[in-house]
Amino acid sequence: MNRLIRSEVFKLRTVWSTWLLVGLTAVLIAGLSALVAFVPHHGAVNFPAKGTAAWFDDLFSVMALAVDLALVLGAIMITSEFRHKTVTPTFLAEPRRGRMAAAKLVVALGGGLTLAVVAGAVALVYGLASVATGVGGIATMGTMLTEFRHVWPGVAAAAVLYGAYGVGLGALLKNQVVTIVVALVALAVVEPIVGAAVPSVGRWLPGYAAQALESVAASARMHAGFGAVSSVHLLVWWAGALVIIGYGVVLAALGSLTTLRADVT
Amino acid sequence: MATIEVQGLTKHFGSVVAVDGLSFSVDRGSVTGFLGPNGAGKTTTLRMLLGLVRPTAGQALINGVAYRDLPDPERTVGAVLESSGFHPARTARNHLRAVGMVDGIAAARCDEVLEQVGLAADGNRPVGGFSMGMRQRLELARALLGDPQVLILDEPANGLDPQGIAWLRNFLRWFATQDRVVLVSSHLLAEAAQTVDDVIVLNRGRMAGHGSLTELRQRATTTVRVRTPETDRLVSLLSEHGIQARHQSSDLVEAQGTTVEVVGRLMADNGLVVLEMTSAGESLEELFFQMTEGAQRFGAAGHPEPAPVVGPGPMPGGPS
Ligand SMILES: Nc1ncnc2c1ncn2[C@@H]1O[C@H](COP(=O)(O)OP(=O)(O)OP(=O)(O)O)[C@@H](O)[C@H]1O
Ligand SMILES: [Mg+2]
Repeated sequence: MNRLIRSEVFKLRTVWSTWLLVGLTAVLIAGLSALVAFVPHHGAVNFPAKGTAAWFDDLFSVMALAVDLALVLGAIMITSEFRHKTVTPTFLAEPRRGRMAAAKLVVALGGGLTLAVVAGAVALVYGLASVATGVGGIATMGTMLTEFRHVWPGVAAAAVLYGAYGVGLGALLKNQVVTIVVALVALAVVEPIVGAAVPSVGRWLPGYAAQALESVAASARMHAGFGAVSSVHLLVWWAGALVIIGYGVVLAALGSLTTLRADVT
Repeated sequence: MATIEVQGLTKHFGSVVAVDGLSFSVDRGSVTGFLGPNGAGKTTTLRMLLGLVRPTAGQALINGVAYRDLPDPERTVGAVLESSGFHPARTARNHLRAVGMVDGIAAARCDEVLEQVGLAADGNRPVGGFSMGMRQRLELARALLGDPQVLILDEPANGLDPQGIAWLRNFLRWFATQDRVVLVSSHLLAEAAQTVDDVIVLNRGRMAGHGSLTELRQRATTTVRVRTPETDRLVSLLSEHGIQARHQSSDLVEAQGTTVEVVGRLMADNGLVVLEMTSAGESLEELFFQMTEGAQRFGAAGHPEPAPVVGPGPMPGGPS
């Protein structure tokens, strides 16, 4: 299993699409942070005053984007095997297909963490710069670090688990474009609708489960830019984590029984 | 125990019967050609041997076990497959490293096999830029990674240049002399004839012939035509001795897979009159056609259907 995991890490390292996702994480988070940091709000109703704890909270919640990108990373890990027909050499080297899926699940956790670390680093640069320039005249290092510690662990946990969720979804759907579109449409469109219509069901969906993890600091969600203050009563953070793990494992298991079991011709 | 053993192997794809109750075995120290027209079921059989396609019935074993039960399978079996793929952005060397790592194959070995197939200078190029022949060479390199005992190759000459084909032929001969095993598919008997010791001919998923190339060559060159007034007696006499024979005209009999010597002696022993006897040559390729598409047309009854004479028609052979 160790060798399988090393091989999966190696595969990720040796294609540019992985580095594109890492770069995209950094660039998008830098951009969105700039939006929060530099766009003047003049005390509008929904925007906290600059330099306050709530403002830092907003600044850092941008990191949640890494969660969606972790999902894409996990999905690509498995669907690119089918897309480029590398499943043949992969299964020749490890014919016990469930083990291959398990190795990918494990490596996707690490992939999600990597994106969360990149996101955290970019967000911290903004945090430090805000403190250094004395944003709003009140920003302190203490406030900044406290808020970062509130937000980052939840984002990181969600990103880690979303990597595995992406592998599970990809194992089931097989097609790369379909998997990514289904995952993002479910998160950005379907879930908010379900959440608004039937909040008691919504809280069990992967997007709201991720929010439960991310919003330990009770921040507003800025997932993929689709910020929404919803009526959904989120699960406690650990239940959210278990729900995402559940989605990843159940989908991967379903995939192992269907797509992964299928003939490779 | 045979190295490769296939028993009652059957595969249905929906209503298509790709492989139909196929049984054969291949022993050490030989190159076996796996022949048959397009759609005969060669690829499907090889993929079942490699655990990539699940048989509908029967089993396919290597060293007595299913592929999936081999420890570090790449170290026992090397495979070249038609529709195997590469990530276009990954370099050739990294492709080999990623695959080899799973079975504990060292990075240095990747360079060795790249060298062997003539890709040493291209190892650090992304495979997306490779030509078809270069990809095929890389497939071969991957098959050799684990220094396997068994090679299973699906049309490995595809896309190779003449030097590549010559190299492959030599390599397979050398490989078999190491007391190892090669099973290699091809549609071209003439091409395979330069490399293989034994052949297995597949047609519509079934065994259409099995034997050593030497035997096949003998059969290939021996159709005996006899002119005699006693055609009925001759046909039944030959049939009694297990020789396939049929009336060609009122005084002509054609016997398959035998020699002038055998037929002549039989006729003399039984007091039959010989007016004329000739032995017609037949190329290996003709024999191959006869075993495959011919086998369907002539059927067991041995009566050829007249070929329709309407234009050039579609390309012969292939799946029907
Ligand atoms: N995945 C599949 N789905 C449906 N039918 C299939 C599939 N794979 C193979 N077949 C069918 O099975 C039969 C045997 O195909 P196979 O690829 O094994 O033939 P082959 O002998 O390798 O032919 P070729 O010389 O063209 O490579 C064909 O009728 C083919 O259409
Ligand atoms: Mg084929």
